[in-house]
Amino acid sequence: MNVASELTKEPALSFARVMSSAPLIIFVVLLIYLAIAAPNLLEPSTISLILKQSVPTVIVCLGLATVVVAGGDDVVSGGIDLSIPATAVLCAGVIADQLTNHGSSLFFALALAIAAALAMGIVNALLVVFIGMTPLLATLASSVAAVGITKVITSSRRINIDHPFIIYIRDGDIGGVPSAVLVAAVFVLIFCIAVHRTRWGMQLQAVGGSREAAEVSGIKASRLVAQSFMLAAIAGALASVFVLARGSGSTPGSEENLLLEMVLATFLGAAFSPRRIVTVWGAVLGAVLVSVLSVGFKSIGVDVFWTGCIKGSLILIVVASAAYTGKAQS
Amino acid sequence: MSESAPSTTFSGFGPKAIFVRYGFLIIIAAFFVFFSLYTDSFLNANNLLNIVEGSAILLILALGMTLIVAMGGIDLSIGIAMDFGAAFAIVAMKEYQIAWYVAVFIGIAGGSIVGLLNAFLVVKLKVSPFMATLGTFFIGSSVQRIFTNGGGPISYRRVAQEYRDLAVGDIAGIPTEVVIAFVVLVIYFLLLERSIFGKRMHAIGMQQSAASIAGIKVRNYLFFGFVFASATCAIGGLIGSANLRMFTPLAGYSYLLDAIAAVFIGASIHPRGRPNVPGTLIGVLFLGIVANGLNLMGLNFNTKDALSGIILVGALALAVMQKRLR
Repeated sequence: MNVASELTKEPALSFARVMSSAPLIIFVVLLIYLAIAAPNLLEPSTISLILKQSVPTVIVCLGLATVVVAGGDDVVSGGIDLSIPATAVLCAGVIADQLTNHGSSLFFALALAIAAALAMGIVNALLVVFIGMTPLLATLASSVAAVGITKVITSSRRINIDHPFIIYIRDGDIGGVPSAVLVAAVFVLIFCIAVHRTRWGMQLQAVGGSREAAEVSGIKASRLVAQSFMLAAIAGALASVFVLARGSGSTPGSEENLLLEMVLATFLGAAFSPRRIVTVWGAVLGAVLVSVLSVGFKSIGVDVFWTGCIKGSLILIVVASAAYTGKAQS
Repeated sequence: MSESAPSTTFSGFGPKAIFVRYGFLIIIAAFFVFFSLYTDSFLNANNLLNIVEGSAILLILALGMTLIVAMGGIDLSIGIAMDFGAAFAIVAMKEYQIAWYVAVFIGIAGGSIVGLLNAFLVVKLKVSPFMATLGTFFIGSSVQRIFTNGGGPISYRRVAQEYRDLAVGDIAGIPTEVVIAFVVLVIYFLLLERSIFGKRMHAIGMQQSAASIAGIKVRNYLFFGFVFASATCAIGGLIGSANLRMFTPLAGYSYLLDAIAAVFIGASIHPRGRPNVPGTLIGVLFLGIVANGLNLMGLNFNTKDALSGIILVGALALAVMQKRLR
């Protein structure tokens, strides 16, 4: 299969170059257009709003990027975790229910949410590593179960939250920078260093690159993959706090949009990396850009129903150009 | 591959051998017995017919999914194809007073648009089926929201009785939707399991590059598969819209995971672990039995959702485990 494409490599190269940067070009054009159409987009207050809005997506992207790094970026047979948004919404439901309906302490509510997330992580890791289910199927199924459990906990109702901690995450700032953004930045740094700068992270990348090769060189691949799912679930729990802050409470069904943004941002991020692979930095950058587009389109008055269409098309452009580049290079 | 090795190691009658061969069927039987004992009305001819009737739409969608999975892909947009089928047919009849039998074809054509987009993305642009159909799913959902101004249903109360009969009528005492689902089942069985065409589709699913070298026109088959599957799903949408006499936006989404689950349960029952038509039927009936039984137990709506989600995870885990032990 490589031989055939090797022959067609030369003439397609220049066009392939253009194709490979197509998502970047489209994004830059969209950004310039939005900046002209909505001049206030570049004001500090808008930028701070955009960053704040992007925090839940950024955090779930950290989890997805970790799983994809460990599992390889083939969407069907490689690593993917579609259950992170469902985990986030489950944890948000748990926290909201505990704080508002049961009057529990914040510490207890957070501990319970982390326990719920760990349970999700264990289920995913068991399904994928122990039973050998494809991550796609496993996490799709576990996300349905998580959504069902969320419904039981919240009785499918919206739960408002007025706990000072959540309000602080929503409104507070440190030296003019929103506290949510600062907290998120710390998590981003932790994930980045863990995945890209540590021995553990190198092993994780080795497993994602070639599982057989990693195992031959003595890396315990199954354990690392299981750990990546646990980390993804924890990212879901962390995101839940910001989901609660952004919505001032838990809302049933908010996982769907988060899922869309997570997948878009993570795979868009791959288009920014020099080797076109999923990285933590790329995913974070992708999440912020998606948020810029969301806020930008809203501020120039694009109907909110159109945003799914625009984002869906962007996903397709990104993956189509990636697929095209891959075809030309391999 | 381990798939080709004959299962001589499990030829005994030990518990492991029985589990590997009949594990899932035993679970289905267990659920059946449990619901029969726990509720009075489960084991009742009328209720059993209800299960079959309630499974008709899911079966049609799951068959479309079987075709795609057999070719090694996945289709996350089957719900969109179903919605488009319903929308095109209802709008054609309501806004343009088109005869119902023409509207049926318009609906199927409308669903096929989704398949055409998928096929274009997968075959022409080489996007992986997962990402392609995910994109189609988001775009299709968004289009429905735009078209209905946020997701309000389009109802058409004065729909032709013949169209309504697609869902509520019966042919020789058998509900029409069951007859339709049965016809689709037979077509898929002949196509996928009893023809050269189906053999080639399975070959593509097992190893695309080998199939290509063996002279199978993989691209044509993939193209046909995506369009045919979405046209099939549109039929499910027609039945759904005929039943309610309206088009409900985004209604198809709820069938997606059940359809995937049914296909994978079916594959686990197959001796070589391949997705197959009879297996999908068993998977669909299992999901139908669970849904019906939980309903009859009189559980709270939310509890039912959570339980069926958990049963789904368990069933899939068991199905995959059974397949791996083989």
